[in-house]
Amino acid sequence: MKIRTVDLTRTFRLGSSEIAAVKAVSLELNEPRFVAIIGPSGSGKSTLLNLIGLNDYPTSGKVFVDDADASQLSNRERRKIRNMRMGFVFQSFNLFPTLSALENVELPMSLAHKPQKEQREKASRLLETVGLTRRHGHRPKQLSIGEMQRVAIARALANEPEIVIADEPTGELDSKTAGDIINLLQDVCERAKSMVIVATHDEKIVDAADTVYALQDGVLRQNS
Amino acid sequence: MIREMNVLFNGQITVVSKDAIVVQAIPISGGMLPEDSTVKKLMNISGVATVTPVLFVTSVGSQALVQAVPVNFTMGIPVDDWQLVLGPIPLRPSGHFPANDSSNEIVAGASIADQYNWTVSSDIQVNGYTMRVSGVFDTKMALLNRCLVMPLTLAQTIYNYPQSVNIIAVKPLQNIPQQNLTTTIKQGMGYVNALTETERNDIVQPVLDQVQTWTLGIEAVVFIMSLILVMTVTVMSVSERRRDFATLDAIGAPASYMFRVVITETLFIGVLGGVIGIAFGSLAAVLLASFYTSIPVTLFFPSVLEIVPPIYMLEMLVAIVGVCCLGGIIPAVNAMRMRIAEVLRAEY
Repeated sequence: MKIRTVDLTRTFRLGSSEIAAVKAVSLELNEPRFVAIIGPSGSGKSTLLNLIGLNDYPTSGKVFVDDADASQLSNRERRKIRNMRMGFVFQSFNLFPTLSALENVELPMSLAHKPQKEQREKASRLLETVGLTRRHGHRPKQLSIGEMQRVAIARALANEPEIVIADEPTGELDSKTAGDIINLLQDVCERAKSMVIVATHDEKIVDAADTVYALQDGVLRQNS
Repeated sequence: MIREMNVLFNGQITVVSKDAIVVQAIPISGGMLPEDSTVKKLMNISGVATVTPVLFVTSVGSQALVQAVPVNFTMGIPVDDWQLVLGPIPLRPSGHFPANDSSNEIVAGASIADQYNWTVSSDIQVNGYTMRVSGVFDTKMALLNRCLVMPLTLAQTIYNYPQSVNIIAVKPLQNIPQQNLTTTIKQGMGYVNALTETERNDIVQPVLDQVQTWTLGIEAVVFIMSLILVMTVTVMSVSERRRDFATLDAIGAPASYMFRVVITETLFIGVLGGVIGIAFGSLAAVLLASFYTSIPVTLFFPSVLEIVPPIYMLEMLVAIVGVCCLGGIIPAVNAMRMRIAEVLRAEY
């Protein structure tokens, strides 16, 4: 999957003033690589990820998905891309509290109308991959925060996405757990041949990333 | 029960004292009619097929059976005419109807019999007179289930109305309109009032209409309040789970999925709340009926489906589920239209 942005700008109106969270960002991502976008809080990292992940619409500029202009895609097509070709990992995990770990992982597959048996088998396999063999039936509240983030990663991988977008995935984790999660994301990148895009200010992720972009006041530049 | 009073005299004219206040067919106050002379005069009027004198008393007389709200009744009817007034009433096994007018046998309604443990051959005392229960009848009519039916002369003796009655049922000959006959009766007998079935219904219809209007008004208010309540609760519930809906959206759930989630929840709440509400409502109806009539609750339970008919329960359930679905629509649309990026940004 190829993602390309051209002069991507996103502004927000705050009272009478207008704030540009992302300013004319042009970027091309087309290989299974581990990409880190770093920057201080409020620099526009999450906004950029939301634009790349088709969760938001730019004020100006374009996002191209495999050379198709995302602005021309219908809501249905955007949802389909998010469901089938992208996986999302959130800072606060965003697991569904009433569902078990297994059901949380099954959900994207269920939305893709995959057979129930396949959902169950694959969700079990993914939970094993992230080291949660014995936690299938546990609800999020019964899991540690590290385990919750593992479930979230397993959920992101459910439909074998070409891109995994992770917004501050280690933001709420202690350093040891954060290290485990980084290893897991690296593993995803290498083994599943998925592109992993992480917004972070965690130095460990920066060290692990193949490519690092820095975002400062909405302006993006490549670090390495 | 008010309507049942008329059912007993279906197709018949009721003749009562001119100064009697009548509810449907039953005179609730006013004078008595001399039985023999009035019956004779009525029989002589052309167009009259049958004449049945009835003594209707709104309690069975003994102190123990008198309630603040009249729930026990006595009907004294000449034995030969029972079928004319009561119709075909099934008796419980081994029961029989009194043989003749001089009998001291009575037939009791199931509810009153069960309340006082009367069975066939039980001896009961009313106003110092001992009578024998010859039968117990089960009927769907609440009035009859709370009634003692006895030979007319026995009722007149017990309640001290010798040779007097308060209702005379007149059946017109075929092809004789009730209205014409009542006019003739009123013209020929200045001391009576004759009422057709329609006129009897017209007496209470305005009251029943008023009650229905008030009931409809209350139902409408309850409906609107429930709708607002369900909507408020669902809006709050959706609002509290904004992140969940945004996450669903982010992982590609179609808008219809979000809509279905909210509507399914409100539907579930509706069905659950409806079933619990109907169960508690029915229980409350039984308890209230028992409280106001002093009839034991246990006697009401078997007839709970008559107090709150299943069709009414079904109507209520459908209305409740409808209110919940309707109340869920706006929050469901809100959930569908949630802007993921804004919600996710607001969460951090």
